[in-house]
Amino acid sequence: MKMIRTAGPALTGRDPFTAKRIRIKLLTRSALVIRMTILMLALLTLLGFLTFNYQGVNFFKGVAATLSNFKVIFIQPAFAHVTFQGAIGELLITLSLGILTTLLGAVIALFLSLFAAKNLSNRMTSNIVKELVAIIRAVPTVLWVLIFAVSAGLGSVAAVIGMSFHSISYLTKAYSESFEEMDRGTIEALEGCGASWWQIVWQAVIPSSLTSMISWTFIRFEVNFGVAVAMGAAAGAGGIGYDMFMDSSYYYNLHEMGAIAYFILIVAMILEYGSVKIKDKIRA
Amino acid sequence: MATLLEFRDVSKRYGNDTLALSHVSFSVNEGELVSIIGPSGAGKSTLLRCINRLIEATSGEVIFDKTNVQQLSKGKLRALRTKIGMIFQSYNLVDRLSVFENVLHGRLGYKPAFVGALGLYHESEKKQALEILKSLGLEDQVYKRCDQLSGGQKQRVGIARALVQEPRMLLADEPIASLDPSSSKTIMDHLRHISTSLGITVLVNLHQLDIALNYADRIIGVSQGKVVFDGLPSELTDETIRTIYGADSEELNLNIPESKEVARKI
Ligand SMILES: Nc1ncnc2c1ncn2[C@@H]1O[C@H](COP(=O)(O)OP(=O)(O)OP(=O)(O)O)[C@@H](O)[C@H]1O
Ligand SMILES: [Mg+2]
Repeated sequence: MKMIRTAGPALTGRDPFTAKRIRIKLLTRSALVIRMTILMLALLTLLGFLTFNYQGVNFFKGVAATLSNFKVIFIQPAFAHVTFQGAIGELLITLSLGILTTLLGAVIALFLSLFAAKNLSNRMTSNIVKELVAIIRAVPTVLWVLIFAVSAGLGSVAAVIGMSFHSISYLTKAYSESFEEMDRGTIEALEGCGASWWQIVWQAVIPSSLTSMISWTFIRFEVNFGVAVAMGAAAGAGGIGYDMFMDSSYYYNLHEMGAIAYFILIVAMILEYGSVKIKDKIRA
Repeated sequence: MATLLEFRDVSKRYGNDTLALSHVSFSVNEGELVSIIGPSGAGKSTLLRCINRLIEATSGEVIFDKTNVQQLSKGKLRALRTKIGMIFQSYNLVDRLSVFENVLHGRLGYKPAFVGALGLYHESEKKQALEILKSLGLEDQVYKRCDQLSGGQKQRVGIARALVQEPRMLLADEPIASLDPSSSKTIMDHLRHISTSLGITVLVNLHQLDIALNYADRIIGVSQGKVVFDGLPSELTDETIRTIYGADSEELNLNIPESKEVARKI
């Protein structure tokens, strides 16, 4: 620590009181590393584009063809194999999958996060739970679904378990970090009143963190809705994603794909709007 | 007067080298208002927290109402803590809850874990909380959320939360350090009233020497973890003030003679 701190001024070698151009930040070692990393990434991206193997595909032709497909999808949407009501039904299935997995995740994460929060748990339990959920989180949701498909078979059961699994670890991290922001003094004050651990959790910690917990849960719900669409296709979990998958891979019906895409877009927008409204309500 | 609290040779060590309290011994009588003074880092907060075991003393005995605090089991400790109210410099309320809810938190220690966790209180407890709020001039703020209150009001909510515990002793850790002079006076007047009229023993850490001299029945001076003065405000000489505050005393000396005059008149 000491090394880094003294390295700051040494790197820049500037005293703000005598410098011509006054810096408001010192160029510390970590800032330098971040800048170098960004520069490297930019160079690599450039290099990538220059060395791609296009295999005879004319870049401009490819772009033109993609754009014409987009035109069919977004400008000429139409239903063919599913009806409007049918699409709504399928959409509800997808939404239910998102809601169910988020709720399952939220309830279990609530309890786990109490043990993961450093200020509510002891250090060892906290570390163990945090490491565990970090490992679970490192594996993508889709992969978890496929892993559970080994025992449950590809389908909605594997999708529910896999998606909940990842939601648990995501929300455990989010909740426990909200809990850790809780003022240490308030917990101390309630301990001083003779309040027990569960009382402190329900009467002080959760009320103080509720806004951010609900925000996180909603963000996760939006994620889960997206994953549920994908799961419909990839894991055969049913729902609107499956219809889209059939359109794109079997019927080659881009018109219907467009219609479904708009459907999903509208729902996503409603969710976004709802989450903003709910957050405003809670804050007030 | 009966002794309510006694420190017997109490020491507290943080880590290996910080000796926050060193062989502290003193006693406090029932109904007294005792002020603990001393420079920053002297160990005042540590001393206060050793009483309700928010901090565990390293050695020595803390005797509260004839029981050795250190030897209490977890359940007994909860029962003890209900008898000791505490207020803080930063109020330590749950900002997102109402004044009423915060005050009722003072009753949690009397309840089985799950009843309190659900926030269920008796009508009689609610009535008692309302009466205490009224006596502190907070009757118009009952349903307000705590983050909408001023500092002085928050501290009064803190006092109400402590009083609803029906405590025998009130610990105050620099209760007025973040307040303006007029709110400070209100809070100190309430503490004085709590001690004199309600007979609750008050132990208050203070940074402001003049206020300690004005309000306290007795003063305990702490310096570098040791009790260096224990006596009446009128017995506090410039010499002892210098031993308590050490190098910081130069600035303080300016207003001490004056405030000591005030203290004597009272
Ligand atoms: N949790 C802790 N860990 C390590 N050292 C601590 C801890 N709490 C306090 N100390 C140290 O113990 C000593 C006494 O601290 P304490 O907070 O009791 O002093 P204080 O008199 O209340 O000071 P102030 O007037 O600034 O509040 C200080 O040297 C402090 O650095
Ligand atoms: Mg202190």
